[in-house]
Amino acid sequence: MEIQISGLKKYYHSEGKVVKALDGVNITIPANKIFTLLGPSGCGKTTLLRCIVGLETPDEGEIRIGDSLVFSSGKNLYVPTEKRGLGMVFQTYAIWPHMNVFNNVAYPLQNRKMDKAEIRERVAKTLKFVQLEGYERRPATNLSGGQQQRVALARALVNEPKVILFDEPLSNLDAKLREETRKELRTFLSELEITAVYVTHDRVEALALSDSIGVMNAGNIIEIGTPRKIYFDADHRFVADFIGRANLVPAAVLEQGESETVVRSALGNMLCHKRDFSEGEELTLCIRPEFIELQPPNNKGAVNTVKGVIETLVFVGEMYETEIRVGEQVLMAKIAPDTDLTEGSEVSFFVRPEHCLLVAV
Amino acid sequence: MARRHTKLTWLLIFLVGFLTVSPVFMLVVGSFSRGLNAFGDFTLEKYIAVYTDPAFGSIIGNTLVFVVGSAALSTVIALFLSYLNNRTDIPFKFLFRVLSVVPMMIPHVLFAVSWALLLNPSNGILNLWLQKAFALETAPLNIYSIFGMILVEGLLDLPIAYLIIAPAMASFDVSLEESSRVFRGGPIKTLFRITLPVLRPAIMAAFILCIIRALASFAVPSVLGMPGRIYVMSTYIYQTVSTGFVADYGKAAAIGMSILVTSIVLIYIYRYLTSSSERFVTVSSRGFKPAIIELKKAKLPLFVILVLLSVVLIVLPVLVLLYTSLVPYSMVPSVRAFGMMGLQHWKAVLKDPISLLSIKNSLFLGVFGASLGTLLSVFIAYIIVKVRTRASGFLESLSFLSFSFPGIVIGVGFMWFFVRTPLYATIWALLFGYIATYLPYGIRPMTSAFIQIHSHLEESSTVCGASLLTTMRRIIVPLIIPGIVSGWVLMATMFFRELSLSIVLSRPGTEVLAVQILRFSEDGLWGRLSALGIIMIMFSTSMVVAVNLLGAKFRKMQVVESLK
Repeated sequence: MEIQISGLKKYYHSEGKVVKALDGVNITIPANKIFTLLGPSGCGKTTLLRCIVGLETPDEGEIRIGDSLVFSSGKNLYVPTEKRGLGMVFQTYAIWPHMNVFNNVAYPLQNRKMDKAEIRERVAKTLKFVQLEGYERRPATNLSGGQQQRVALARALVNEPKVILFDEPLSNLDAKLREETRKELRTFLSELEITAVYVTHDRVEALALSDSIGVMNAGNIIEIGTPRKIYFDADHRFVADFIGRANLVPAAVLEQGESETVVRSALGNMLCHKRDFSEGEELTLCIRPEFIELQPPNNKGAVNTVKGVIETLVFVGEMYETEIRVGEQVLMAKIAPDTDLTEGSEVSFFVRPEHCLLVAV
Repeated sequence: MARRHTKLTWLLIFLVGFLTVSPVFMLVVGSFSRGLNAFGDFTLEKYIAVYTDPAFGSIIGNTLVFVVGSAALSTVIALFLSYLNNRTDIPFKFLFRVLSVVPMMIPHVLFAVSWALLLNPSNGILNLWLQKAFALETAPLNIYSIFGMILVEGLLDLPIAYLIIAPAMASFDVSLEESSRVFRGGPIKTLFRITLPVLRPAIMAAFILCIIRALASFAVPSVLGMPGRIYVMSTYIYQTVSTGFVADYGKAAAIGMSILVTSIVLIYIYRYLTSSSERFVTVSSRGFKPAIIELKKAKLPLFVILVLLSVVLIVLPVLVLLYTSLVPYSMVPSVRAFGMMGLQHWKAVLKDPISLLSIKNSLFLGVFGASLGTLLSVFIAYIIVKVRTRASGFLESLSFLSFSFPGIVIGVGFMWFFVRTPLYATIWALLFGYIATYLPYGIRPMTSAFIQIHSHLEESSTVCGASLLTTMRRIIVPLIIPGIVSGWVLMATMFFRELSLSIVLSRPGTEVLAVQILRFSEDGLWGRLSALGIIMIMFSTSMVVAVNLLGAKFRKMQVVESLK
């Protein structure tokens, strides 16, 4: 089911200050896809999620889930959480410690006064789906973090909702388990016909998991796009900077070419991925460290070739993290771990035009 | 949902405000009134009478020495015990748990009486024995003295001080000490420059709470102070309302005002200290094991002290009472004494209609009053913890106010109130007063229970389609059962042994156990007193055990239901 949100506002008042958690959010979340709300902490992403499920009441705006309106400030309409029939996985999992796995998962069905035999059957089916077959009688406190996470997922799925919400569900797992669970989650969700809304501040998680990402900041949705679009071709400087490490170099448009935009910057004149800017306009050139490539000694002809000096060189195992000084500008870059360069070495590198991203200042 | 909570919040504010503010208001107005029948008839004569009385100076002096002395004693012993428990390799550490919990089940009045039985100058068992052993002419020790009072009150308030200091000691980040050692601070210097200063808020909080308790204490000053004509503020009030020709409630209110004001000031200092102690004491999240000091040669003597303290606090009072209830008159335990043992005092008590009535009344107040108080506490704690509005903060402060109420003072305030209502001289007056005075003790365990329930547990139930009632029944209540049990037990034991409020409010027909015990003590009927005391301890212990079993069963039931 599609989720349509329009003009959503939610302000908090604390100690005389007004915090704009949601500042007029308009968004349509596509049906049966994994949609991620990504942003720094305090950007309002969790508030938006809680408004969708009904745990928060917005000050203004409308929320429509599928064909039904669940909140409208204009019509004074608020459908309470328990009547919205959504599924949700909480950051803390919120597994009830006094119940066993069966009752935790069966709870949504029990609230619908479903027949007992049917409940048993559906709980067993769902537990099988999340690979916790036979765990029914296990006390909820007697589970590992990953298992609790899957119980929470099973509980959210057992009622076969059309929409499932995730509030940073992986943030309590350790790094290795987080990666495994992320892959699993992707597999689980792609097998179902369900709209998933996923909140996270972890950009890797967002990129790896989503069909579509909405980047939020200060109560607003800044940009929406596929992971590749957001990573390679962001329209906003905030998004380009937030989604990955980026060298931000001030630049100005020199001329608009056929397929490229040429800019002047501290790195010299650079051919960039074409963007609609007028000549002379000040903007920011954004280059990700992994796209800075060292020039092989015998190859001199590449476009966007720049000369610099290695200022720092830190070995982190899979590569060297380095800073290259070009005049006043210092650029982060990554160098293969088997290099024989040292600090102070002169290097010459290039960046392909499609990886030179131009964003407004 | 939010709107319903606002209504509930204001309803509770009204209720708690009525319970706690009305006795204070009546006390204030009463202290400026001519008498119970001339309420509101303004006069300053009561204040003038009290505060210009030359005898009042010595009462203030006695009170100061008694209060500060006993609070210091409790705090020092508590500090010593917490250090032993948390930082040394002393054996049998479960003794510390016993020491901190069990004395609460022994009513203060009985504890004081048992010391009087041991060390009174005319026929105290220990005194008689010492006299015989050393061929002394007079009794060597006199419990009816300010030192006796300090000793007994200090021991009584020990668990309170321990329960505040021990957690702070346990969560102490040892790396603070270790870094002092690294920078050349010796162990003694580290103790005084680092450990004690870091724990200072907790130590101060314990000390202040003990002062408040000692200031409100009535059992010890009445049982041990009054026979030796050593009066403190609480016994002075008692004297004003219960002896002499006419009870002067106006004068009592005027005396009480200064205790109440002192207590309220102290409780807010205490509150400030406990909130800042959370900032001060660094709880390490990485689970440091505190460095355990090996006691080596000191282990045995320290352990003996610990065992001795347990005996003195728990075993001795019960044994003395049991012994006294069986022998015909006070005598040193001997073959002859054991030969003369009989059940005459027990029979006398069980035939005494007033004793039986007092058992019935105290049971009613304990069971019914604690249930009512717990119910109220659940709602208040829910609002305080889960609804964080300005109104709920106000409710918290309001419900905390009665934490400072000295029973006998607030009793006088309630007297001014009840005498204008049909509740006067009924059991309901006591019930009303008990709940108002001891509400914070019910709220405390409940708030900590609610704090432990993450709001997600409640919210996920709502997301799963459960109504508010279903969420209450299936999620919230089962999860706070431990809090409900400990809140109920705390309130029930306090109500069951309540003395200082009851001594003012109890009238013929509404006698309660502790008051009856005090009457026996005043009449010197030690045998009957001891028999009734043992009955009292038995009842309160079985009440505690029963409720704990019930709580455990209830939790198990939840699990069984979930297996079906």
